Amino acid sequence: MKKKKKHKSLVMTNKMFWFAVPAFLMYFTFWIFPVFQLFRYSITNFNGINRNYDMVGFKNYITLYKEGTLFHAIPNTIIYAVVLVAVSNIIALALALLLNANIKGKGIYRTAAYLPTLFSAIVIGFIWSYVYMPGNGMIATIMDSLGMDGSKFNILAGFKSALYAIIAVDIWKCIGTTMIIYLAGLQTIDSSLIEAGKIDGCNGWQMIRLIKVPLISATITINVILSVINGLKAYDYVFIMTNGGPGKATNTLMYSVYKLAFTEQLMGKSAALSVVAFILIIAVTICMLIFMNKREVEM
Amino acid sequence: MKNKKIKAGNLIIHIILILYSIITLAPLITVFSSSFRTIKNQASPLILFMEFSMESYKAAFTKMAFPVVFMNSFLTTAGSLVVIVIIGAAAAYPIGRLQTKLSKFLYYFFIAGLVIPAQMVIIPVAQMFNSLNIPYTRFTPMFMFITCSMPFTTFLYAGFMKGVPVEIEEAAYMDGANLFKRFTQIVFPLLKPATVAVVITQGIWIWNDYFFPMVFITKSRQFSLPVAMIQFLGDRENPAQWNVLFASCFLCALPLITLFLIFQKQFIGGIAAGAVKG
Amino acid sequence: MKRRKILSVLLVTVMTATMLFGCGKKNDTPADTTGNSSGGEGAANTGSTGEAADSSEKVTVTFMLSGTLATEGEDFETEQMPRLVEKKFPNVKVEVTKLPDDQYYTALKTKLATGEAPDFMWVQPRYAGVNAVFPLAEAGYLTDLSDLKAAELVGAGVKDFTYNDKIYAIPCGVTFLGTYYNKNIFDKYGLSVPKSWPEFENVCKVLKDNDVQPIVMGDKDMYVMQFGLYQLAANMIYPENPTYDDQLRDGSVKFTDEGTWDKVLERYGSLYEKGYIQSGSLGLGASQAIQKFIDGECAMTFDGTFNLQAINSSGAADFERGYFPLPGNEEGEQLYTAGAPGAGPAIYSESENIDICKQILEYWFDSESDLYKAYESCGKFVSTNEGAVVEPLYEDFMKLYSEGNSWYWCNQAWPAGTENEMEALFGEMIGGAGTTVPDITKGMQNKLEELLAE
Repeated sequence: MKKKKKHKSLVMTNKMFWFAVPAFLMYFTFWIFPVFQLFRYSITNFNGINRNYDMVGFKNYITLYKEGTLFHAIPNTIIYAVVLVAVSNIIALALALLLNANIKGKGIYRTAAYLPTLFSAIVIGFIWSYVYMPGNGMIATIMDSLGMDGSKFNILAGFKSALYAIIAVDIWKCIGTTMIIYLAGLQTIDSSLIEAGKIDGCNGWQMIRLIKVPLISATITINVILSVINGLKAYDYVFIMTNGGPGKATNTLMYSVYKLAFTEQLMGKSAALSVVAFILIIAVTICMLIFMNKREVEM
Repeated sequence: MKNKKIKAGNLIIHIILILYSIITLAPLITVFSSSFRTIKNQASPLILFMEFSMESYKAAFTKMAFPVVFMNSFLTTAGSLVVIVIIGAAAAYPIGRLQTKLSKFLYYFFIAGLVIPAQMVIIPVAQMFNSLNIPYTRFTPMFMFITCSMPFTTFLYAGFMKGVPVEIEEAAYMDGANLFKRFTQIVFPLLKPATVAVVITQGIWIWNDYFFPMVFITKSRQFSLPVAMIQFLGDRENPAQWNVLFASCFLCALPLITLFLIFQKQFIGGIAAGAVKG
Repeated sequence: MKRRKILSVLLVTVMTATMLFGCGKKNDTPADTTGNSSGGEGAANTGSTGEAADSSEKVTVTFMLSGTLATEGEDFETEQMPRLVEKKFPNVKVEVTKLPDDQYYTALKTKLATGEAPDFMWVQPRYAGVNAVFPLAEAGYLTDLSDLKAAELVGAGVKDFTYNDKIYAIPCGVTFLGTYYNKNIFDKYGLSVPKSWPEFENVCKVLKDNDVQPIVMGDKDMYVMQFGLYQLAANMIYPENPTYDDQLRDGSVKFTDEGTWDKVLERYGSLYEKGYIQSGSLGLGASQAIQKFIDGECAMTFDGTFNLQAINSSGAADFERGYFPLPGNEEGEQLYTAGAPGAGPAIYSESENIDICKQILEYWFDSESDLYKAYESCGKFVSTNEGAVVEPLYEDFMKLYSEGNSWYWCNQAWPAGTENEMEALFGEMIGGAGTTVPDITKGMQNKLEELLAE
């Protein structure tokens, strides 16, 4: 222990921080500084185009609170994130475990699972609008041909179902990436550990639960955190497929931010909502990170 | 006996995977097949590959000015990726290796950026470009591509850095290698799986991103592929135009699909080469 | 030890430098090439220096608007217009970007913030939407076009683009909201064009009784709700109170006042209640709805003249299209249509090419020019010029318009965002989320007050 500490000071010196300078500079200038700027706008009545605006104090925050925009969008966002994280990670991990096994044609399956990822969100939103389309859409037609009543299928019109329909699209699209990261993690497992497990008489399930999953806990952390963040900032498919509708049933935090800034020209209020969203997401992410890192160590 | 069991197990695995693949690919194949239809063909898109007409592709190809926009996309994506890998891996080096407060701060600092969607900050970002007097060319979006890739890249590299044994570096230190050499010749090559993952994931979003090029470029000759594509995407005017829209979608994704198929082998190779003790 | 320190510092410097210059360099090269063409003034002082030896030096004028590229034939804005302008002004090159509405709004707004907006931008009358002319003019982004001859030629519509007595954009003709119908279906059931609300309801009833879906709407794209609502408002609100919207702004009337918008919303909502508009419309997209109409699956759809091209494209069924103003009037009362000047081009106030842009506009809106003729024949607007050939579908509308029996679209007078609140709440009502008409008017009033306060 003592030896290690001593080494650290020699091998891992603080000079290493120089390596982070280029990335830091760029990142600060074009990303963090603008966010601070946004914080400033949140106490103004800036409309996004007119350069004459006034400071209005915390008025924007108070309106947000009073109006209930927050209370409307936050539950949707949380449902979105939870479902997305759970479903996409479970399916992706299962797929990665299957594909990591020695089976024929795994390259083809991997490609199939990964293909949706290659399309941009806007295209996917468009394709799925067709899939979900009532009457002549893909699902409705398939239901008809299977003898079910396809004309009843109208998932995007339902106040309860629309949000889940959108999450399904996001899951469909993001599984590829999640799976690839899991695969990369699984490939780093030392084969001698697997062999040792076999000798100890582990069956397939035990092998997964006791050896593989604990060994890729760092990868699980990465994937879970990434999907939590993706879920919390969900915006694309809402924007493309439902515009927050029907009514306001699929309004997420980020979609509200966008709508306030770009359709209602309330840049100040939108900035205030961004700040709230930002704090919320950061808090959730950091809690998750601390929790996951702890588990990682335990495992 | 045992062999039979394994075979039965494999069969189940295959069935599961095939079912999954069908669900995943069905929407894409349907759309792909309708992109080969003539513009007038209104039959249900579920009748797959009822005709092979390149009419839609021709229309999309010429209206998009495909060669020009393709080159723009290619240059900006490739250029961004090179910079992203270099500065991203470098930034992750202290973050992944040091246990000081500063490194922890940097870790969270970079992750914090992940949670910000581009639409949220685009106006302040645009004002920053304006005050720095950055000229607007086809390469301007690269600034944002690189910046927005930093959180994910450093996060991933830092995570993978844990898998690179400290002992290797300690041995190199004993042999008199300096920091730069240690990073470039020992650590970075061992991070190959992470590099591949970064190139794939970031390459895809950059290639597909229409937002920054749309916002920072005004001249149509400088547009990237996705911006050229969304011009077909107007939401109300012409539903009969879907075939062309779909053709342009596939023209846009085709280079990626091709690359992915080639890259796939390298990807596996990269992981094998970089296999480290977990 | 020291050497290593120096080395690492050097390394970082080099890396930073490569990064910055790497980008910078790449940025410079194309900037040079485009710089030549976009250097605006270059064309004015041609040949004054050796540098400008290339006499083909061109001014690049950029133009951005919302819409979709036409895939059949030449697109007016992205192909015909640049071609004709370049023919007339050989030293000018026009670069046009046509984006879907939402993308256009985002791009325009951000480009204004970057200080590099396109030379020409497409703006909407009054307060309608993100690219509305009044807020843009107020913020100083638009060039005063009052001295253009083109402004005189445009006629009445120009007042909707006049802010503080200055004209900021050149609109063209007029666009209408109306009801497209399938003449074959109407003939089959012996129906004629309804002239009042009871007649319209009767038409719907007859169709419904014969198992024909009367109306199809793609309410998933919520903006289409405006198509029906504004036609009703033109009959039910403005004839009684022509200054209704001005009074909304000064607070002397409210959306919540009885007998105004509650009536309109109720009437439009009744179409859903009775199943005249297909159930589950909230799951259908706007273009998908048009597709259903042209496939002959439904008898009518509410839409604007701006969508004629889509309405006329061929579908699964062959039938003759008709178009009538949705009659929101009672029997025996005057019928009004919802017609408004269309959008038009404006010039960015910090453009380097203001002069040449003005010349282009003069050419564009000179009714004798090839460009104007091409514009008129692309059918995106209805020409109000004397002697212009009016699309036969629009004759009834033009008659009402020329008699003065026409009202603008409500959202042109409201601050942008009010209509979105209306659409969302109306969607909740027809989707059965328990929202009532008073909830909608209350929500609209709250949104309006909030937006006006800014």
